[in-house]
Amino acid sequence: MKNKIILLCFLLGFKLLTAQNDTIQLEEATLSDSYFLRFSETQSKIILSDSVLERNSSSLTSLLNYSSTIYFKENGLGMVSSPSFRGTTAQQTAVVWNGININSAFLGQTDFNTVNPQSADQIIIKPGGGSVVYGSSAIGGSIHLNDELKFNRKNKNHLSANYGSFNSYGLNLASQFSTGNFSFNVKAGRKGSDNDYEFPKTGEKNINGQFYNNSLNIATGYRINRSNIIKLYGNMYDGERHFSLISSNATKTKYHDYNNRALAEWNGFYGKFISKLKLAHLNEEYRYYPTLETKNFNFGKAQTLMAKYDLGFNLNKNIFLNAIIDLANSEGETDIYSADRKTCSASIMMKHQINRKLLYEASFRKEFTDAYEAPFLYSFGVKYDLANFYRITLNTSKNFRMPTFNDLFWPGTGNPTLKPETSYQVEIGNQFYSDDFSFLVTAYYNSVKDMIRWIPVGSGLSAPENTDNVKIYGVESVLNYKRNFGKHFFELNGTYAYNISENQKTKMQLIYAPFHKATASLGYSRNRISAYYQFLYTGKIFTDSTNKNELDAYTVSNLGLEFTLGKEHNYRLGAQVLNLWNEEYESVLNRPMPGTNWNFYMNFKF
Amino acid sequence: MTASLFITSCSNDDDAPGIDETGDFANGMFILNEGNFGSNNSSVSFYGNDGTLANNIFQSVNGENLGDTAQSMLLEDDKAYIILNVSNTIEVVNRYTFESLGTISTGLVNPRYMVIENGKGYVSNWGDPSNPDDDFVAVINLSLNSVESTIPVTEGPDRMEEENSKIYVAHSGGYNYGNTVSVINPANNSVSQTITVGDFPNSLFEKGGKLYVLCGGKPSWTGDETSGALFVINTLSDTTISSFDFPATQHPSQLVEENGNLYYTIDNQIYTANLNFTSLPSNALFSTSSQGVYGVYGFAVENGKIYVGDAVDYISAGKVHIYDLSGTLETSLEVGLLPNGFYFND
Repeated sequence: MKNKIILLCFLLGFKLLTAQNDTIQLEEATLSDSYFLRFSETQSKIILSDSVLERNSSSLTSLLNYSSTIYFKENGLGMVSSPSFRGTTAQQTAVVWNGININSAFLGQTDFNTVNPQSADQIIIKPGGGSVVYGSSAIGGSIHLNDELKFNRKNKNHLSANYGSFNSYGLNLASQFSTGNFSFNVKAGRKGSDNDYEFPKTGEKNINGQFYNNSLNIATGYRINRSNIIKLYGNMYDGERHFSLISSNATKTKYHDYNNRALAEWNGFYGKFISKLKLAHLNEEYRYYPTLETKNFNFGKAQTLMAKYDLGFNLNKNIFLNAIIDLANSEGETDIYSADRKTCSASIMMKHQINRKLLYEASFRKEFTDAYEAPFLYSFGVKYDLANFYRITLNTSKNFRMPTFNDLFWPGTGNPTLKPETSYQVEIGNQFYSDDFSFLVTAYYNSVKDMIRWIPVGSGLSAPENTDNVKIYGVESVLNYKRNFGKHFFELNGTYAYNISENQKTKMQLIYAPFHKATASLGYSRNRISAYYQFLYTGKIFTDSTNKNELDAYTVSNLGLEFTLGKEHNYRLGAQVLNLWNEEYESVLNRPMPGTNWNFYMNFKF
Repeated sequence: MTASLFITSCSNDDDAPGIDETGDFANGMFILNEGNFGSNNSSVSFYGNDGTLANNIFQSVNGENLGDTAQSMLLEDDKAYIILNVSNTIEVVNRYTFESLGTISTGLVNPRYMVIENGKGYVSNWGDPSNPDDDFVAVINLSLNSVESTIPVTEGPDRMEEENSKIYVAHSGGYNYGNTVSVINPANNSVSQTITVGDFPNSLFEKGGKLYVLCGGKPSWTGDETSGALFVINTLSDTTISSFDFPATQHPSQLVEENGNLYYTIDNQIYTANLNFTSLPSNALFSTSSQGVYGVYGFAVENGKIYVGDAVDYISAGKVHIYDLSGTLETSLEVGLLPNGFYFND
């Protein structure tokens, strides 16, 4: 009963205040990203469901492209992929692994085709500013990859495999094992493809686009006693991609990514206090081979050591306070320069549940560093439940994106006096919900100052400068609807965003930021058969800042069919037709995506 | 720029019998727009003598993309050769109609510039960026549009000039910094001599038996900054007659000649001197900063006009500013991305 009430309260967004401490402890033990649990109530978040994860498992790009308003600039299937979230730049989306920002130190962004979406238990999309808690780049929004550690005495194994056109394959194994005090979670994956698809328009083949990657993710936790838990997390990604040729005689190149990270955590629950000590080590390495025939390569390697202490305090049943001290040291080395950066930050946060319907959150962060002039950040938000089907949220925040190693240290042109990009934003969210329906519509305004751009400085060189101010505003909406009609189950998910990103000097739209994007998926199932249709619309985008050249809008649809087998419904077989209508489309200039292609998959739980 | 000078000196060829000089692009100037590296969006604009501008003419005539990173262009007889650096190709078109006549698509690795001597094309190639020892000059059979042999040279062969039955290759250094000019003998297609000049020889021309080579010097960030220099070389003996050093922090580029004067640029400033100069000019002829130019990306002086290509922020449509010889702005044009060269068709 208690669990049911907690679940109900979670769904409806009420906190059953008397049960709050237990609930928090349970959630805090399960997930590492505690800020998400404690301080994210005044902005929207989209938790991707298992079926969404299963049906778009080929890449994080494809997963998010079909289920959110984020636009992806993908250099052909499987190649470098960067996001534009709420009309911002690729460096203005933070990717957060178990609460730790993992954007590249060299580039300040994450390549969404170098993350295996099946290496996380839970993927959450959080639109809007979040720098106070997640640091640099959380301007357009953040993507959260979380591992779950359950102490529920269960043993679960999940094997999935897929094979499809262009010799594309994937093999993933996930295992969870737990006792009351010990929990172990491992996920291993391998993906690859010849990726030699035909361009629908010209009939030419995609040359030199083959790739493979291996990933391993481990999470383990041990409850020493009721009050103390030790957790260890580890992730490894090793991938090689040949870069597909943009013109058929161009020199063939390839790129190798090797990333690993480790996180050790000690959680203590002492009466009104929640204490978390985290130590993390992040390592990112790349090797770029500018000519395949020779074994010569350019390289980069960056390591970050991080220590974080986080103390939460229940002042009383309605007020929760939190303080965080964060130390980080990053060192980078490439074949042409070396770099380092030390940062230290202090944050204070507060959540106050005024009554059952109204709460507010306030948080502040100050960073100290020798590498750039660190801004003072804040976030303030209110959530008000106006009716049992309608909630309004309001949030305003100041966020930043720090200059990257390349921006600061590139020989000759790196600019050590760069300021971080800063973003002032405000958003109003309206959530309508019932048992089988939810609709979220958010209006936002975001003023980004001191955008870092590489501009010509003469002698054929370019250098980064804080030049542009950009005004971004728009509306995004998310719809979810589920309904049973007897044995027939229907599910509809949709998103739509309208966005303007206007350079204040030129009054032009930013490049690679669409005005419109929409996604929809309609699922139907009856007994052991399910069918689904996925739809993606991306409006036109400009490829130059004078808005003279554009890429056409496109509409891509996928159709899938699934059969559930086995006495315990533990086998599932699926088939997908991707790009059903053979749309000719590019998300990056002169980088055609594949036409109609197939994918078959199998999931087995044991 | 090399090509534009070349055309001036070979204008008699244009009147040769058998060449049909009619076409949409017979009278005016081509602007080569490099496009973004790795984006396959190089293009050619045409600015007619009647003042009309047409952008993206290769695409509109031929219905396909020109290629990736157009480095340079050369006009010869009734043909235009467009060297596409990242595509590793040379597109051959009719210079009056811009209709495609073929593609040289094998044997080129990071091609840069082309000259024609003795009925053969010579194309400088940087080769594999990670290998300093594989750079070469490709010899092109112009009737077959194919590479027939290669001449190994030191790293970073770049702009070239042919004179006195010799080909002078400036070694800017490619992915490093060079300080030589190779002399190729087209009779046996081998390097006959190497002339040492200043660091980073980035542009050159020949006039009156003298080869003028402008060296940019190494920039400060190399940790080994050297000053720019202008070298004057006797083309009979292939020895240096004189050289002039720039002040330590000045790094000139874009040397061209017109009507007995030389012109070059430093950042966004234009300089000039008479060919009989005894010292380098200390003051600029004019600055392009009023047009918002950060650094001159393409440059030419022709028929009493100074042409400046502006790459703006690399992701905007490029601009071309046309000045009279005193530096008064006459016209500005909006062209393709990263305009890096001007080639005159008349």
